[in-house]
Amino acid sequence: MTFEEQLSSEQIRTLPLRDAIAIDEHTVARAAIALMRTHHLGCAVIVDQNCRPTGVFTEQSIIRLLVAGASLDTTPISSYAEPDFSVVRASDPIMTAWKAVVDSGRRFMCVTDDEGYLIGLTGQRGLADYVCDCYAKQITVQRLGSAPWMLQREGA
Amino acid sequence: MSSYFRLDPAESIDPLSNFEPADYDSELERALAEDPVAEIDAKPYLQISPYATVQEAVEMLHDSGAASLLVIDSDRLVGIFTERDVLEKVVERYPRICSRPVEEFMTTDPTIVYQSDPSASAAAAIAVAGHRHVPVLDMDERVQGIISPRRMFAFMEKHFS
Repeated sequence: MTFEEQLSSEQIRTLPLRDAIAIDEHTVARAAIALMRTHHLGCAVIVDQNCRPTGVFTEQSIIRLLVAGASLDTTPISSYAEPDFSVVRASDPIMTAWKAVVDSGRRFMCVTDDEGYLIGLTGQRGLADYVCDCYAKQITVQRLGSAPWMLQREGA
Repeated sequence: MSSYFRLDPAESIDPLSNFEPADYDSELERALAEDPVAEIDAKPYLQISPYATVQEAVEMLHDSGAASLLVIDSDRLVGIFTERDVLEKVVERYPRICSRPVEEFMTTDPTIVYQSDPSASAAAAIAVAGHRHVPVLDMDERVQGIISPRRMFAFMEKHFS
């Protein structure tokens, strides 16, 4: 089976999903940012009373908030939520998430069950981990670092 | 007098006679292992001086819609300033620090790849090291671009078969 066929046949639930930060639309920006920092996540998902995603507050929202000079203590996150966001179902093929990243430039996608309830997050990171699992022999053997390669060679 | 022993070409063995080229299961596997990073689209990218203010950097991220800026001084990469730096180091004290230089808040020593590295090394920087923005340098240590997961996946798509 080719990688492309694999993307089309395997479901998003097989990706390493991350726990989502689910918050109410009235949450003030400072509280949302504190949660994002604590969980090292660049995205908080705004959910309704039934835990269905209605928007996302991301690092890009924070940039817009800063440039607008809005107060972190009084501004609700709904004022700077991203107008476009992606929701995928856990039962969708991984190709759906792949296309959302490559064609639409999405970083995050809210993952829901078949009833539309939020169950996690995936996106560029989840897909990168998936690619690494599929091509571990090529990827995990590579040099990693910030120093010039000649300084990393044995005996250099 | 020369002390070299010269082999008669007719009697010598081809030094590559036991070379076995790598066997790949797919074109994508071959591309990851053999195609260089230079084959991945790494442009456009944005750069900023380390002495520019945090406010200028934030406004540049806002106006461009980019997620990262390469911090370059005298043609050398000295760091990277990303949306994650804004979240982790800037946002909660922005009014107090917005006029301070970017170099105080950027990520120094980012993981880099060279244009001549195999493309899998960019995938490793993203998947194994966990970086979303991987600067690309040439052999003279000059910046040639930046690779994001989106650009990496677009490269992989070209080799779907």
